Amino acid sequence: MTVAMRHLSAPDLTPVHTEQVRDVLTRPSLSYWQDAWIRLKANRRALVSLWIVVGLLVFTLIGPLMWRVDPATQDLDQLSQPPGVDRTATLVAPPVTWSGEALTDEEATGLRAIGRADTQAVRLHWDPMPEATGGYRVYRNLFPVGPEKAYGLPLLMNMEKTWYEDRLDLRPTTYYYSVAPLDESGEHAGEVQTIELNLNRVITIDEARKRGLIGDEETPAPGATVELKLHPLGTDYLGRDLFARLMHGAQVSLFIGMVAPMLFVAFGILYGATAGFIGGAVDAVMMRFADFVVALPFLLFMILFKFIFQVEAGESGIMPMLVALVILSWPATSRLVRGQILQIREEGYIGASRLLGAKTNYLILRHMIPNTMGVILVTLTFAVPSAIFTEAFLSFIGMGVAPPTPSWGSMCNEGIKTMLTTPHELIFPAVLISITVLAFNLLGDGLRDALDARMRSRE
Amino acid sequence: MADVTVDESSFARAAGRQLLIYGLLTLIGFTAIMFGLNVMASFVGSDTGSSKAIDASTKSITLALRDEPPQLDSTKATDAISGQILGHVMEGLLRQDAQNKIQAGVAETWEITPEGATFHLRPDALWSDGKPVTAHDFVFSWRTVVDPKTASEYAFIMYFVKNAEAINLGTLPITELGVTGLDDRTLRVEFERPLSFFEKVVAFKTFLPIREDFYKQTKGRYGADTHEMLYNGPFRVTSWVHGASLKVVKSEHYWRRDEIKLNSINWAYMTSDPNATFNFFKDGKIAVAGLSADSLANAMEQRWQIKQFQEGVVFFLEFNQRPDRLTRNLNLRKALQLVNDPSEVVNKVTKLPGYLVSDSLFPVYLDGVKDKFKVEKPPKQIVRDVAAARRHLELAKQELGLKEIPPLALLSDDTPTANVMAEYYQGLFRDTLGLELRIDKQIFKQRLAKMTSGEFDLVTAGWGPDYEDLLTFGDLFASWNLNNRGRYASAEYDRQVRIVQSSMDQVERVEAFAKMQDLIIDDAVILFNYERGASYVTHPQIKGIVRRVIGSDPDFSYAWIDEGQG
Repeated sequence: MTVAMRHLSAPDLTPVHTEQVRDVLTRPSLSYWQDAWIRLKANRRALVSLWIVVGLLVFTLIGPLMWRVDPATQDLDQLSQPPGVDRTATLVAPPVTWSGEALTDEEATGLRAIGRADTQAVRLHWDPMPEATGGYRVYRNLFPVGPEKAYGLPLLMNMEKTWYEDRLDLRPTTYYYSVAPLDESGEHAGEVQTIELNLNRVITIDEARKRGLIGDEETPAPGATVELKLHPLGTDYLGRDLFARLMHGAQVSLFIGMVAPMLFVAFGILYGATAGFIGGAVDAVMMRFADFVVALPFLLFMILFKFIFQVEAGESGIMPMLVALVILSWPATSRLVRGQILQIREEGYIGASRLLGAKTNYLILRHMIPNTMGVILVTLTFAVPSAIFTEAFLSFIGMGVAPPTPSWGSMCNEGIKTMLTTPHELIFPAVLISITVLAFNLLGDGLRDALDARMRSRE
Repeated sequence: MADVTVDESSFARAAGRQLLIYGLLTLIGFTAIMFGLNVMASFVGSDTGSSKAIDASTKSITLALRDEPPQLDSTKATDAISGQILGHVMEGLLRQDAQNKIQAGVAETWEITPEGATFHLRPDALWSDGKPVTAHDFVFSWRTVVDPKTASEYAFIMYFVKNAEAINLGTLPITELGVTGLDDRTLRVEFERPLSFFEKVVAFKTFLPIREDFYKQTKGRYGADTHEMLYNGPFRVTSWVHGASLKVVKSEHYWRRDEIKLNSINWAYMTSDPNATFNFFKDGKIAVAGLSADSLANAMEQRWQIKQFQEGVVFFLEFNQRPDRLTRNLNLRKALQLVNDPSEVVNKVTKLPGYLVSDSLFPVYLDGVKDKFKVEKPPKQIVRDVAAARRHLELAKQELGLKEIPPLALLSDDTPTANVMAEYYQGLFRDTLGLELRIDKQIFKQRLAKMTSGEFDLVTAGWGPDYEDLLTFGDLFASWNLNNRGRYASAEYDRQVRIVQSSMDQVERVEAFAKMQDLIIDDAVILFNYERGASYVTHPQIKGIVRRVIGSDPDFSYAWIDEGQG
């Protein structure tokens, strides 16, 4: 009987697999940034803010390409128009100068409107009143005249004519016109007559053609209607499109808000890292200089830079603002970075690296900068809203952009003057400033949580 | 893990509760402090504390002042606010009554001849310390005005007095001024040249008296504070908190004291913020409030009776015609003139009621020969014509040898109206002519300084009258007038100004003024804007407030409280 000898091959000689298959408790290795991103994603506030910031960038950079309206074009037919009003206007012939004497032999008596009353002109005529020894006064009111005898705006006083043409800022609404006879001293002397007039919005054919509402060849008959130009967020006091102005204003605000922090944070890192790394007397001197810069008044420097830069009257003050911001805002970052560097310098792993022969360059690039990155990013995101706010504030007090360039701050400044009558001119830029500043702040808050190395081990 | 989370949330809850408690405590503490301060403030009290617009029992009214008067020294005062206060506390030889007619003031009677005038002073005109006002007080103050050391900006207004101009230029001693006190109660004025509106000029604030012994005693601080000044008018200043309030009470020495019905006027607030004054009025703290564009709609809603007053101030854009400026070119100016439409400015840009469309250098209210000047001599009308304007612009480019006109500088005030106007013109010139306009926004003082030094191409300027004659506007563009900031120089214009200055014949003068009016338009010296009007509201119980184009405005010295109203 022969025993068949088996030839052993290599696999036969491998050791018997004795190990049991255990549960795998590892997870994919995450880099610092991946980890931070996961934590940022879990923070809903930060995420929403991030989307708002992205939306804002789209609004600023792509918006003007989509909404091609010149922010400086004045539309004097739609002054201080709130959003969403009826834009239908009737086409009319150009106005003819009226000197009152026509149509005086009409049947009607008392105060009456001559011809059509529309946003082009309201022509009033009344019968002579014997008690009017000192002429007449015409009033226009937005409200019916009640027992208070408040007749509204005095349009013109002490006229001797018995007619009046009103063209003052007419809106498509209801007006109550009154005419009062006056005595010699200018006081009311007798019964005041009042009429109610509903004004239609009109536009002359020439104007409509100039604004491109009707084609050059078209010759529509007077009485046809056209839609006036669309202004989605309304217009300002000179009929300029608010939407376009907000988008162009955002460019200025975000330019300052992005560029200034980048520059001063970069400088702050360099300065702080140098001071912290070298340490000793150099550190002390450098940080005292930083303290000195902190004490400098910003507004004063802003004004000084305007002179140094020789900003001609009527030119934009954006560059001096940028320089002033960069020159005066870096110490905060440099202090933070210096603190971090000082701390890291003494860590054990740095000492270990040194013992293993790591050079300064390696230490800085491998250990110091990555470990301060979180702090730097957080400073940057907090610096952005503060720079935007500074720009808005300076433009608000008239030190920023030069007209007609809009900026959110200067738009607020203009809007606040007519806050009570046309609030939309203030509300839109103010809301945008608030949202932007809030979004950047919340994002910064979220980033701080996400980048905090001590939070890394937590879920 | 799970336990930790629970712990954390309970900890968070505890922390939240603590925070809430601290927050509430802070709030309560804050409220308590507020109340405490309020109670303490009522203990301290002040003159401004009686915050009631009208007090019928004490016959006093409370008002707001637009600004602090720089000083109450009549020889130096140029601004309207000093003029208003001076009108209440001082009285000149002649005064304006409630109908703006000239009445006897310190002078009881007077005679005017082409050579001079003699004033007879009333014996009962007294200073606030009880001493009589004498002819010497006028001699002293008039000499101080023309004294070159005083450097009074209004010295020119006295140039009709003999030797005044020479003294002001420093070539004659001040004792040579043609005004002498023949005795304590007779004042003699000699004329350099006759003046057709002499009486109106003498009522002006620069001609008010000052007592020499008191003036010297204040060592240059005359009119700087309550006790640094003597008063001879219907009221005297009793308290002047600089930058905060100014109070005047009825003077017991004033000769017409029985006709003055108010016992005290308290300008308790000094603010130029129209919203602040609006709210003061709404809260019943002040009796009169001016209305801005924004508050007009609100005033309508409040059902207030809105009043209006024509200020007589003409506003325009003035061109700089200094040799180094592009705006020296007539065709360029013409181009801008042809796109300018004052009625659009008034109806669509300023949008304020009471503003009149301006079409001339001269405002509507000034008199010509028999009727108003502008009725007798209507100015040429300029109609907007963009095509013609572009032709002028092309000519201007050829003459100047430029391909493109570089940006022009528009010097402007930083008031809301001026801002809107400047931006409107910026858009207008850009859209019609393709010209760029740079806006140079400056505060009032700085604008004046830049106007004087000529750092502008165009400037938003206004001119108010100093006396009631067409000349106060007409001589503005005489080549020698320092207020001619654009340095417009025309031999023909100067010739017409000389005619109106020396002629006593109103027909000849009006003809000359009409020629000046035409020259301003033909040479495109200014772009017309508007004549300003003011809208305001008054407490229904206060009557007899006098508004004036020239002089103290608004004048409360003729006002009274009508308790039946309201």
